[in-house]
Amino acid sequence: MNFFLHINRKLIFILGLVILIFFLFVIFTKQISLLNIKPEINKIRISNADIEKPKFAINNESKKIFITANEGNFLDKNKILLNKNVRFKSNDFSIETEKVIFNRSEQTAQSKTKTYFKAENTTISSDGFDIFEKGNKIVFYGNSFVILK
Amino acid sequence: MNIFFLILITCFLSISAKAREIGETEITTEDGIEVYQDEKYYLLKKNVVINSDNFILNAENVKINFKNNLHDITELNAKGNVKFNSSEFKIKGIGDNLRFEVENEKITIKGIDSKLQTEDIEMYSDGLIKVNNLNGEFSLKGKNSKLINENIFIRGESIDGTFSNNKDKKEITFLNVIDEKISYVKNNDSEMYANKINFNNETSLIELIDNVTIIRNGEKVTGDYGTLDTKNNSYKIKSNNQTKVKVIIQNNE
Repeated sequence: MNFFLHINRKLIFILGLVILIFFLFVIFTKQISLLNIKPEINKIRISNADIEKPKFAINNESKKIFITANEGNFLDKNKILLNKNVRFKSNDFSIETEKVIFNRSEQTAQSKTKTYFKAENTTISSDGFDIFEKGNKIVFYGNSFVILK
Repeated sequence: MNIFFLILITCFLSISAKAREIGETEITTEDGIEVYQDEKYYLLKKNVVINSDNFILNAENVKINFKNNLHDITELNAKGNVKFNSSEFKIKGIGDNLRFEVENEKITIKGIDSKLQTEDIEMYSDGLIKVNNLNGEFSLKGKNSKLINENIFIRGESIDGTFSNNKDKKEITFLNVIDEKISYVKNNDSEMYANKINFNNETSLIELIDNVTIIRNGEKVTGDYGTLDTKNNSYKIKSNNQTKVKVIIQNNE
């Protein structure tokens, strides 16, 4: 009898299906990343940021919180809308999000975009945050998720 | 087709396993978190769930005090429909408020229908239940306070005592029960009523003060002061000058 007649046809079918799904998945993810790149290129071309790579700091008696972002736009004399890769960093923690309104005179910050907080053995993810009292008080909004290690 | 389902199940399991790894504590809240860095505490707001390998807690709101970092917890205060279960310490409880002091290993539960349950003992109160796991001291205050274990039932408005440090089985070594109406203690063969009931394991004596009643083997004895020796199973009852000791022998047949 031919050797190939011994191979289970069901097994071949399932293996084929798994390989097909894998390739479809790879193609699909490639497509998504390509779609994402194009608008970003366009955005850079029409970017109208007032400040590129802005840097600020919140000065507390005990610590300093450095703020960085890719773009910044003045909303008024004191309020600045920070956009893209917004990062708050002190010796104890860091906060990452996409959009923040930073008030220079009051030394406060407010965000309504997905927020990721990281400190020693602690991570917090939330739907936004507020920083008050020169960084002493941080309020995370909405459904929040904490991991303590 | 079985292989296909197996692959699917494995995928689902790997996704859900990403939520919390072994050794980590996961906290979820519905209305956010307030972190006070100088004051060293944070507030977890609305439908809080704390979940670790051997501990789970549910509460409306939780305040956590920390030492240096957020994970370095020194004290936990939970409010509103508190439920917790520690498989490590084999302890679970419910109440309106829970306070857990980590270093001192002190647990305090407050509120109506409060309950604290260990492997051997159940404690109930409409007021307060306090247990110090390090020195074995416990305290129950308020209406409907009662303590139940395999050999004893205690009821009174104020129950203070100490558990032995025996890890295999917790035994009461000291007890002080007070109730203006009447305190009640039941052990294997006796029922005791008095306004104040004391027990000391070193002397093996149960001391009963004011409005004393002892019921044993169909015998009911009343007086003003009584002692019951748990070693030789004997008891004495005295009365004040004005009254007399009263014995009622009941026919159980």
